[in-house]
Amino acid sequence: MSAGSGRTAGAVGADGGATPRVQRPPAEVRYADELARLRAEDTAERPPGWALSLQAARRFILGDERAGIRRKFVGDPSLIDRALVTLATSRGLMLVGEPGTAKSLLSELLAAAVSGDSTLTIQGGAATTEDQIKYSWNYALLVAEGPSRRSLVPAPLLRGMAEGRVVRFEEITRCPLEVQDCLLSPLSDRVLALPELTGDDAMVFAQEGFNIIATANTRDRGVNDMSSALKRRFNFETVFPIADFDTELTLVVAEAGELLRRSGVTVEPRRDVLEVLVTAFRELRIGQTSRGDAMERLSAVMSTAEAVSVAHAVGLRGWFLRGEPGTAADLVSCLAGTAAKDNPDDLARLRRYLEQQASRHAGGQWKELHTARHLLPG
Amino acid sequence: MGATFIGVRHHSPACARLVAETISALRPAYVLVEGPVDMNGRLDELLLGHELPVAVFTSYRDAERQHASWAPFCAYSPEWVALTTGREVGAQLRFIDLPAWHPAFAGRRNRYADAEQRYAEVMESLCRTFAADNVDALWDHLFEVPPADGLAERLAVYFDLVRGESTAGPEDAAREAYMARWVRAAVADAGDRPVVVVTGGFHRPALIQLSATSDSAPVDLGWPQTPGLPATAAGGSYLVPYSFRRLDAFDGYQSGMPSPDYYQRLWDTGPESAADQLMAAVVGRLRERRQTVSTADLIAARVSAEGLARVRGHRHLARVDVLDGLAATLVNEALDVPLPWSTRGTLRTGTHPAIVEMVAALSGDRVGRLHPSTPLPPLVHNAEADLERHGLDRPGDVRLKLTDPTDLKRSRILHRLRVLRIPGFTRHAGPTTGIDPVLDEEWSICADDNRLPALIEGGGYGRTLEEAAASVLADRIAAARGDMEKLAAALFDAALCGSDQVSDRVLHGVTGAVAAAPEVAPVGRVLAVVLALWRHDHLLGTARTETLGVVVKAGVERVLWLAEGVYGGAAPAQPARIDALVAARDALVHARSALGLDREAALAVAARIASNADVPPDLRGAAFGFAWSLGAQVEPVRAVRGAFAPGSVGDWLAGMFALAREEVLAADGVLNLLDELLSGMGEQEFLVALPALRQAFAYFPPRERETIARHALARRGVAGSGRALLRLPIAPDVVAAGRALDERVDALLAREGLMGT
Repeated sequence: MSAGSGRTAGAVGADGGATPRVQRPPAEVRYADELARLRAEDTAERPPGWALSLQAARRFILGDERAGIRRKFVGDPSLIDRALVTLATSRGLMLVGEPGTAKSLLSELLAAAVSGDSTLTIQGGAATTEDQIKYSWNYALLVAEGPSRRSLVPAPLLRGMAEGRVVRFEEITRCPLEVQDCLLSPLSDRVLALPELTGDDAMVFAQEGFNIIATANTRDRGVNDMSSALKRRFNFETVFPIADFDTELTLVVAEAGELLRRSGVTVEPRRDVLEVLVTAFRELRIGQTSRGDAMERLSAVMSTAEAVSVAHAVGLRGWFLRGEPGTAADLVSCLAGTAAKDNPDDLARLRRYLEQQASRHAGGQWKELHTARHLLPG
Repeated sequence: MGATFIGVRHHSPACARLVAETISALRPAYVLVEGPVDMNGRLDELLLGHELPVAVFTSYRDAERQHASWAPFCAYSPEWVALTTGREVGAQLRFIDLPAWHPAFAGRRNRYADAEQRYAEVMESLCRTFAADNVDALWDHLFEVPPADGLAERLAVYFDLVRGESTAGPEDAAREAYMARWVRAAVADAGDRPVVVVTGGFHRPALIQLSATSDSAPVDLGWPQTPGLPATAAGGSYLVPYSFRRLDAFDGYQSGMPSPDYYQRLWDTGPESAADQLMAAVVGRLRERRQTVSTADLIAARVSAEGLARVRGHRHLARVDVLDGLAATLVNEALDVPLPWSTRGTLRTGTHPAIVEMVAALSGDRVGRLHPSTPLPPLVHNAEADLERHGLDRPGDVRLKLTDPTDLKRSRILHRLRVLRIPGFTRHAGPTTGIDPVLDEEWSICADDNRLPALIEGGGYGRTLEEAAASVLADRIAAARGDMEKLAAALFDAALCGSDQVSDRVLHGVTGAVAAAPEVAPVGRVLAVVLALWRHDHLLGTARTETLGVVVKAGVERVLWLAEGVYGGAAPAQPARIDALVAARDALVHARSALGLDREAALAVAARIASNADVPPDLRGAAFGFAWSLGAQVEPVRAVRGAFAPGSVGDWLAGMFALAREEVLAADGVLNLLDELLSGMGEQEFLVALPALRQAFAYFPPRERETIARHALARRGVAGSGRALLRLPIAPDVVAAGRALDERVDALLAREGLMGT
């Protein structure tokens, strides 16, 4: 669950990117050399249509220190095992979890490992139509020549099936139910009908290597549910927030440091401040303090990715306002905007937390956090 | 000939197999086993032919600490196999580790707990290298699933790596030094016959080093002494039946190997068929619970499991392959908590029901049984002696006066039996809350066939009734987490049983339980009762005990925390939550210095609640009264004016009166102001406010209400008795009906233009 996920923590390119002008190249470009090395050394059997064997794909994502492969995803290895095995079977892979748990990053990495290409992506939304999923037409050619392969404009699903590659469907539950259901026959029968065409062109059979990785936020379950028919065609994998404090802290320190460097900040963020930040985020996320007091969770997303962006903001404040690393007081100012957003209930919970819980933690930064509690607006 | 050292993981079938093979092949003179040395004289008792699992239970109690621990054995325990195989080949059997009550085991409840947690860093990097979620998955991957050739060497490499260069802690060092002395003595005694040493793998490297003898530095080769219990301590070891449930890490066992039923099958029939049986057991359980598991699902699960085994390089399906395969295909919704086998520890609340069934299927429900001629645990004898000594051994009714010291002792014995759920002892009457003025108890005692079995089971909790009841109560307190009613019941039972002083661990549990309570009212109720017990109770002897002090302190903190979280604007007064603030205030008044309560922080909370318009009026009023009654600087006149909205004033006043009644009577001008504001209310407004106002003034006792009435009369210059004003000669409903009639007549007159409005 690296916080450097695509949309959430901001685009943290692993190594700055191959081409300087692209803000965030896709995973297969960012890690091109690692993929090439893994492919060259890969002796295990590959599932048909796969760019790598399952073992090599696993090493690509989980990392392999001896081979110089970076660890790209923090989480249970068994999650990756199950995800890869699912992709090799006839069911699709559904990654669900809280926002900011790096589901999109994981789906990108999986697609890059399995197909060598993570760009066949459908972004789900209220306005997503079947055209954007399956295919549409080049209307000038359609009028001139009638329906033909030439006038057909394939969308990611059709391309994925025809070329035997993995298709990513982001935020599937944001799409209306009937749009989601157009995945049914591609997933179960592995075929897509093009009724406008005739003969051999009328059916596109999925080539080996085709499968679908969908992602969905557990917070969005209320927006659009999934039909049970579609659910049956997916294996569900839940991606959890990082369980281990030290792992999460290390990740936040690294990612925030990287973001700050890119923003022109030349001092390192203070580890004790980030420790307070990560602890507070974890306590507010799970609704329990480290000494065991139960409290209300914030309704806002308190993900690792959010923690990174707060850490980033704290660093920016400290550096550009005073020329020093951010302090716990900066943290209070940044928390309101990022954590509580415009929800007055969350703001009240946050205030109560700062008033009553912050003072119970030992340590200088906690004291400072408690002292600075009045900086919370409202 | 020297010693052959086999380093094992406790409860590992692969290690058990290796132990059996080695002992059968070597036919050693001595088999030395990591186990309580004080059981050496009673090995015959251990090998009577029990139904496994059984455990050696050891209890210990002295002035400073109380300790209970188990050394569990199941059919596939390497230690058990070492004993049985050793006996078959005619070897001398010896346990060689320190007794469980020895300080080296302080804090350990399970002798055969995994030592991995002491080497977390190494384990983490090993898990990462092999891409396993945790130690259990890694262990299966390395040892249980692969073929057995070279197992001894692989185990040695593994444990050498894990133990590494790190030096053992003082506890482990003491145990290893002791075990090494046994090894040296046995090797010296065996002459040219072999000796087999079966210990936890983490001790093996150290034992090899420590037990090596060299000519240059001669060491003592005599048999070490068995440490005896210190003279001031009570305790001992005996056999108890055990169960797979308790063995299972998922059910809270102090981290041994999880899923005992699976490993039993692995031991009985090998990995391939264990995986098949596991899958069948899970599907069977799910279908029993009417969960849909279609054939298509089963095929998909099997395919997934096989795929996972192949990715992970397993020859046969391992435990996690089957579980992962089943979870991936059978659960088609988001999980609330991670899969239990990817983490370690107890099953967390919110675990998906299908996952719960999977874990239960692996855990199994096998329960051990002792051979009939096994000596009974001391609790049975002690309890019977206690009953006889106090004349409680015959059926019949018993009446006890708690003020009589002899009867108090008898009452405590009966309560301990009740707490231990020993059938046949029923209480019909007696104190129920600790602050009710009941001094007598009525009990009935009757014979029950289940009394003896229940006492034997209770023996797992301790040697005497007092000790056993105390550990049961400690468990109950720990399990009450967040449930204030349960916690209060457990604490009161502890008072009745006379086990008021409990260990630090339990105190910690109490604090945790209070800190997890979700509602302010129950915390307040418990706080009030506990505070009263802490202040006054000399009957049961709970006054000023540390346990109750901890509850009071935690209760105050929790009440303040929860009170600040109540929002929602105008709502009718809830006396229960007002009472919670009363209890917190009382605690601050009476126990502040003794318990170190933070008055300033409490006043700050009260000030925030009192000034927050989103808080219900009763709490705002109560918070104001809270601060006022604790002597904070407040402006009552201003506050009353500010709160005087007809819809909510009664609720606000109820809160304030509940906490600061005396201050209201004593303060200058507050009664006058109230009189003024109430008189100024319109008829309709007054009727709206009336029910809440009545509730508010009910917080004053009659005598004080009379004072108020006198004041009101005096203010109007009317001579008369305040008491007469309070006791109307006519019933209130008649007055109300009369007033309604008046009002209708007035309205009628006004309508007809017969009276100026």
